[in-house]
Amino acid sequence: MNDLSVLLSYEFAQNALLAGLLASVLSGVVGTFVVIKRLVFIAGGISHAAFAGLGVCYYLGIHPLIGAVVVAVLAALLLGWLGRGDSGRHQDAFIGILWAAGMAVGIVFIHMTPGYAPNLMAYLFGDILTVSRANVWLLAGLVALTLLIMGLFYRSFVAVAFDETFAQVQGVPVNLINQMLLVLVALAVILLIQVVGIVLLIALFTLPPVIALMMAARSFALVLLSAVIMGMIMTTGGLAGSYWLDIPSGPAIVLFGIGLGMLVRGLIWLRGRIRGAADTTGAVRSGAAPAIDRTGRRI
Amino acid sequence: MSASPQPLVEVRGVTFGYDREAVLQNVDLRIGPRDFLAVIGPNGGGKTTLLRVMLGLEQPWRGTVRWNLPTGHGRIGYVPQFSTFDRNFPLQLRDAVLMGRLGRQGLFARYGAADRRAVMQVLERLRLDHMANSPIADLSGGQLQRALIGRALAGDPDILFLDEPTSSVDAETRGVLADLLNELNQRIPIIVVTHDITGFATQVKQIACVNRKLFYHGSGQLSHAQLEEAYGCPVELVAHGVPHRVLSEHNHDG
Repeated sequence: MNDLSVLLSYEFAQNALLAGLLASVLSGVVGTFVVIKRLVFIAGGISHAAFAGLGVCYYLGIHPLIGAVVVAVLAALLLGWLGRGDSGRHQDAFIGILWAAGMAVGIVFIHMTPGYAPNLMAYLFGDILTVSRANVWLLAGLVALTLLIMGLFYRSFVAVAFDETFAQVQGVPVNLINQMLLVLVALAVILLIQVVGIVLLIALFTLPPVIALMMAARSFALVLLSAVIMGMIMTTGGLAGSYWLDIPSGPAIVLFGIGLGMLVRGLIWLRGRIRGAADTTGAVRSGAAPAIDRTGRRI
Repeated sequence: MSASPQPLVEVRGVTFGYDREAVLQNVDLRIGPRDFLAVIGPNGGGKTTLLRVMLGLEQPWRGTVRWNLPTGHGRIGYVPQFSTFDRNFPLQLRDAVLMGRLGRQGLFARYGAADRRAVMQVLERLRLDHMANSPIADLSGGQLQRALIGRALAGDPDILFLDEPTSSVDAETRGVLADLLNELNQRIPIIVVTHDITGFATQVKQIACVNRKLFYHGSGQLSHAQLEEAYGCPVELVAHGVPHRVLSEHNHDG
């Protein structure tokens, strides 16, 4: 424990923890929509396209994240536009093209940049321990902006996620809401690149919402909240695991999340078994014959 | 014919299709204030497409759809076919029905006490109040169908569209639905897209028969010849359940 308090007195450790918690808010809120609206591969395409922006800015000597933001938002708008109308049925192909093109452009520009590029591995696989205090503030700003937009249009976001056609008939600007969601995905991607990297960020978009959806079926707000909490457990637990086991933070967070998901699934299964057993004993008491047979075989 | 001076919806010369093939060709349709219109026709004949064009979900290639609702475009009741959303969506019944209130306020609005009251009233009317807090995944087929109708009615609409509402109803739903539609039709027009007109036999005042073209539209008698033209052949099947009030004599003025 003393060990931990020493660790948390270092600024890099504080930054890492804060960045992880902020990322959890975004991945929980935005990721739930991503999972429910089946935008997981769009999110993957956006994150890999963002690599082009990273590479170009790296070459030009500008802060790479600026390029990543610009390209991610443009890629999101492009994919949203391509998803509509007649080109919509080939949207997955466009996602694939954008995915590879982003990586190709990024690699070419990094290759042309003189000198060694050590930070790029951090962008691909994430290095939460290198997040600076300034970046934490940037992340906090992004989280605030996302929550503000979500809050303002919350009713429409949920309505469009649930039933797009009905929402449109009620006069909700469905295309605008969908485009806004994709822009929020793009902004979240930038944040998550710093935490788990381009390649692994899809795990933060999917694992917390999927775990939350297993736990709560009643209310959408509850799912959002659970997803945020699951994300926080996942990033914090992953960071701790990375420290104690001396493994890279990005993969540690992803693997911890998968373990968490399996644990929750197991608990839900166990609860079902216990409830089922209770139901069966109830049935035995009330004298239902077939239930005795079944419990008998189980024992 | 419902030749009221001011139709609520007026479809004029609408042609629309997907890809390059026209699904609807040169369709004219007027919906008056107290109409109860059944849109019938063979599968793939464009019934649902016509509904989508009227609702503004599709932009016609040619022609126009004009709306003259007393309270603007927000008060349209729409009951879609079953399959338009995911039943496992984490949502309580009352929150799903609450979405019927979306069109009443602006984009930044929140649901208020009046919205929740209106939803509970509708749920009671549809005998769903005991399920108000249940997740929609727990509803039976008939209950879900009533929930969709409740959602359409929660906004107190000026016009009601139903797409295949009898496709999966139980007896309770059928009874509730018949009473409700009768009552609503005292005030607002109702448009039902259906392949099975028997469910609404006593209520339907007008019929529109759609198979790419609009073959018949009116409240008089629909002739066998016209049905034959629209459907190709299974006239007996269709004519069978339709009451004689609607389908009796030969009459060629549509």
